[in-house]
Amino acid sequence: MIADETSLARLAGLAQRGDKQAYAALLGAARHWLARYFRSKTLPHQIDDLVQDTLLSLHRKLASYDPDRPFMPWLAAIARYRFVDHLRLVYRLAEDELADDHAALDSDEPAITARISLERLFESLPAAQQRAIELVKIEGLSISEASASCGQSESLIKVNIHRGLKRLAAIVERA
Amino acid sequence: MPQSTDDLIAGLVDELKPVAPLQQMRGMLLALGALALGTAGMLVTFGPRADLVAGQPDAMLLLSAGLFLVLCLASSWAVVDMARPAVGTRREGWGWTALMAAVFPLAALGAMAVAWLQARSSGLDSTDVNCMRYGLAWSLVTFLVLTLWLRRGAPVALGRAGLLTGVAAGSAGIFAVSLYCPHNDVVHIGIWHGLTVTLAGLAGRLALPRLIAW
Repeated sequence: MIADETSLARLAGLAQRGDKQAYAALLGAARHWLARYFRSKTLPHQIDDLVQDTLLSLHRKLASYDPDRPFMPWLAAIARYRFVDHLRLVYRLAEDELADDHAALDSDEPAITARISLERLFESLPAAQQRAIELVKIEGLSISEASASCGQSESLIKVNIHRGLKRLAAIVERA
Repeated sequence: MPQSTDDLIAGLVDELKPVAPLQQMRGMLLALGALALGTAGMLVTFGPRADLVAGQPDAMLLLSAGLFLVLCLASSWAVVDMARPAVGTRREGWGWTALMAAVFPLAALGAMAVAWLQARSSGLDSTDVNCMRYGLAWSLVTFLVLTLWLRRGAPVALGRAGLLTGVAAGSAGIFAVSLYCPHNDVVHIGIWHGLTVTLAGLAGRLALPRLIAW
């Protein structure tokens, strides 16, 4: 069961003062909320990692919670920061996998996983931005190769990648 | 992550220690301290301008230094608050102040354009670049203090935090310089003083995100 906002804020205030029992209750409630939050944004097997990562951040940044403010907006801000970070990691992993021919031949699973995560988000991007990001960030083409492949100029490819990634981050960051 | 979430929670609870929440007023006091230190450093090094010493400051000095001071306070407030994230928080006050301060560079560009059309000297002297150099140098005090504050907190919009830290630092630096700089013309203030804030903002936007990422 998720505790109400007032109780969570009180627990967080007590945790800041070193109350371990309150902290255990707070982390338990945060864990359930985070699992639900990430469920709608990523693949099932990535949820636990994200929840743990966010709980660690909550622990390290507990001083940044203002006990006079509601707790959930603070937790949500920490969660989405971690999720955007996770997305960047997914991009990098996909790039690394595709850059390494042997790894790509041995197993395409990480790259495919990255694609599935991204495709849900890609639906909300304009076609030109989707294409530019796919060609350069996912398929590993150079800017000039991507330009030749899809007919966008090189500068337009760069602009579309920049705008697309920015828009993806904004979509992800919506509460 | 190898361990289960239950184990992780048990470990985190076990190592919990009391923490002092970041307080907005404490952050602002640190920012004000940095501003005071930078201003004192500038005045001790170069001395105040003559009209200040005489107790009859020029109206242009009051106007421009006042605007940069307000910009410094508004952007510092936003930066200090950014260390304590929350979804749905709006921090837009600094933007209106920045727009007001932008009147000086715009007026300077307008004055230069008119001078150019009338084939007159624009009044812009490249030797006045020292104001910008000093402003950027003294802005480092505020930049350092706000960066350390952000590192203690949990900023989630790193680019904006970097930009605002740069703007706060740049306007603190140029406020300090304003009390020394003998110029009262809009071209000098708009270009060199305005450029200081712009460059500091750009530097913050480019350099700070990697320093405050967590």
